[in-house]
Amino acid sequence: MSELQRVLRMAARIRRERLGSIRLKIMWPILLLFLPGMAWGFSDPNIVLPGGHQPDTSMEVLFYASLGVVFGATMCGVLLSFDGISKDRASGMLEIRLSQPMPRVHQANALVLGYWQTVILPVLVLLLACLLVVGYRMNEWTSVTQTVVYLASTALILLWYVLFALLASTAAKEQGTAIAFGVGVWFFFTFLWALVTTMVAYASGVAIGETNNPAWIALEGRLDLLSPNGVYHHLLETQLPTVDRGVPVWQVWGAALLWTVLPWWALQRRMKSLVP
Amino acid sequence: MAKVVLALQKVQHRHRIASPRWSKPWAARLGPGIVDVNLNLHEGAVLGLVGPNGAGKTTLLRLMAGLLPIQEGKAMARFESDELKPVRDLRPWVGHMPEQVRWQGRQTVEDALMELADMRNVGEKRVRNLLKLVGLAQRQDDPLNNLSQGMRQRLSIAAALLGSPKVLLLDEPYNGLDPVASRAFTELIRRLASKGVSVVISSHMVSQLSGLIDRVALLHQGQLLDEGRMKDVEKRLGLEGRHRVSGDGRFEPNELEELNVERLGLEQRENDWTFTFRGDAPRVLETLVQNGNVIERWGPVEPDLVEWLCASTGLEPEDITLEVRGPSMVPYAAVGVAEDE
Repeated sequence: MSELQRVLRMAARIRRERLGSIRLKIMWPILLLFLPGMAWGFSDPNIVLPGGHQPDTSMEVLFYASLGVVFGATMCGVLLSFDGISKDRASGMLEIRLSQPMPRVHQANALVLGYWQTVILPVLVLLLACLLVVGYRMNEWTSVTQTVVYLASTALILLWYVLFALLASTAAKEQGTAIAFGVGVWFFFTFLWALVTTMVAYASGVAIGETNNPAWIALEGRLDLLSPNGVYHHLLETQLPTVDRGVPVWQVWGAALLWTVLPWWALQRRMKSLVP
Repeated sequence: MAKVVLALQKVQHRHRIASPRWSKPWAARLGPGIVDVNLNLHEGAVLGLVGPNGAGKTTLLRLMAGLLPIQEGKAMARFESDELKPVRDLRPWVGHMPEQVRWQGRQTVEDALMELADMRNVGEKRVRNLLKLVGLAQRQDDPLNNLSQGMRQRLSIAAALLGSPKVLLLDEPYNGLDPVASRAFTELIRRLASKGVSVVISSHMVSQLSGLIDRVALLHQGQLLDEGRMKDVEKRLGLEGRHRVSGDGRFEPNELEELNVERLGLEQRENDWTFTFRGDAPRVLETLVQNGNVIERWGPVEPDLVEWLCASTGLEPEDITLEVRGPSMVPYAAVGVAEDE
């Protein structure tokens, strides 16, 4: 068996075990409400958003419905993987796993892939349902490119949160700390990032909250590159021709690459020096 | 003597412990661990690694299992050739059974072992054979959550044996095993040793290991105080040839004056007594019986960890038994222990 096959087999075992977990069963109704539920709501022909705005295209509806991914799916990713390493540490299994001759970097990769697959599979199923709901309700189907970007960006944001949760899990010596780390990071980027943006704007002398102010839009666009949720929205905005926040597409994809590579590298590094 | 398969030469691993300062909140310093340990593991020999809580037994085992890096010193091994060569990764050759693994989850026994087998590139047949060997073949489809503590220990043993190891490390393996399983486990260790596997068993119960181990290594405060055959170690520590006899009624030590017996202890209770001595045991017994004493029990004194530690460090029992090592480690000098056999 090649090293890649070993990694994939280990990932598949994690996926199989976690897909049937009670935790995921609890998350199913939440995901159902947040993903197809939001897609159904935002695709209502009579919907009027704050500011009197009405979404015109199906991609725009998917963009608004992506709030469900940010609030629900990422939380699901964190809740499924926050104890990916700390649970094994507490049970003594980590010691057994680390004493196997499989390189630790490969073990880290298998963990990432396993937990990512666990969250991505149900989410992908529901995203396809979203596409069907929006296409049916608006009588307009998203293009292949839009669909690919929509699915790929969602897959990426879930990967980032799984990476954060696993990274936190390597540092946590007990479950409470692990969940506090994982949920804390999620909370910070999901709810507190607006506060960070506001504080930076205040410090930079940019008028706060004026949504039509070009300086505010540019600042918010730049700062969003430093947040996984922001990068996710930037990625979706690449398919919305009416939105321009002054951030070039290459920078958006570059940021996405960095958000993928840096935590993954950090996790591998942590695994190498991990003491059971 | 059997050839050495793994030789640790002046190895050290000290744990890093957080020592935050205002200017450097992430600062850490070296804490307890093991220091300057020289230890040879022989082919087909069972080594008992004994020491009190916090002596460094688990650290030493983890180091030999390739879980902790060797900070100083080196490991030489004879795994692939007849020559002792420096070895970088010990994990392919070493089977490690940690203390108290809580196998849990809905995964089946076979699946859990297969997962580890995949990590070692070991096939399904080997997994089934191992489950049979440790007596879990009938429970292979049970979820891990349904296993008792003893069964979990058996599964840990199977996991340690997955890669057909040349060195088998067992950390307190008797914890949780019932007497039947303990006996089967002892037999299994003997069988593995007879096939050339070098076995290391850590325990704080010396008496539990006597009769099973060929050699003993005495660890205290991160240092190896002595290592060798059990009898040799006892001899070096001045603890060899001790016997204890118990009887009813009163005991008169004067009865044994002519026998040149070294008196080590006498407990005289209301109705019985216990006498510990060093000397010609059969003659002592014969004399006692001839003098009309009713003997209840008699035999050699079982090895006792506290006595060993006292003898090798020069400390008093109360200093050894209640003192738990602090977070900073001061290398501790062995007292009166010969370097070589």
